[in-house]
Amino acid sequence: MNGATINLLYFARVAELVGKRTETWPVQGESTGAQLLAELGQRYPQLEPATRLKLAINQTHAKPTAAIRAGDEVAVFEPVTGG
Amino acid sequence: MIRVQEADFDSAALTAALRESAGPGVGGIVTFVGYVRDYAPDTPTDTLFLEHYPGMCERELEDIAATARARWNLAGTVIVHRVGALHRNAQIVYVAAASAHRGDAFRGCEFIIDALKTRAPFWKRETLAGGDSFWVEQRQSDQDRTDAWDEDTPDKKENP
Repeated sequence: MNGATINLLYFARVAELVGKRTETWPVQGESTGAQLLAELGQRYPQLEPATRLKLAINQTHAKPTAAIRAGDEVAVFEPVTGG
Repeated sequence: MIRVQEADFDSAALTAALRESAGPGVGGIVTFVGYVRDYAPDTPTDTLFLEHYPGMCERELEDIAATARARWNLAGTVIVHRVGALHRNAQIVYVAAASAHRGDAFRGCEFIIDALKTRAPFWKRETLAGGDSFWVEQRQSDQDRTDAWDEDTPDKKENP
């Protein structure tokens, strides 16, 4: 799985905290949402105030237990506030 | 019909179009219009900036509307949601549900706006008149309302 990546998208306050809106992220084999959030927390300590991070995998809301595979589009954001 | 747009909308025209498309069996349409309101108790809101996740947003709204149409007898649904910079008192969102009977129309419309607030990927950044700016946090009460629809199982047909 050398060179396998996912496409990360950041929204709203998360995008402001990490200072970018998109990023290519390396993955090895199959991982989970929780693993990705832990990696992001290490890479971006400034995410600490965002205690309720949510994920969408391929444009569908995903739980922390959801599988993430190479090629996925994974969005990271705080709880939505539309309406 | 689902629309996510920067432009303002004409709620009367949207309601008239829904009535036309839904046909003569429609006995009522329930609509909800949401506006930019003052968020802080003592400082007026200047601007609300609406960010969204294009693609997923439309997909979630379609799914929410389809769920409502499967659960109640609805002849049609409309969701229009604005994005971008919206000033104080501007319209944000329009939801409509058409049905032969008011009960289905009321429940369908309320379900859609409740589900939208916790599922559709929009985020609001509030800028107050004094210049302070912050991202709005989701209220637990909004999640509780969405969750409550899982328990609420009104009859699919109001007048069987």
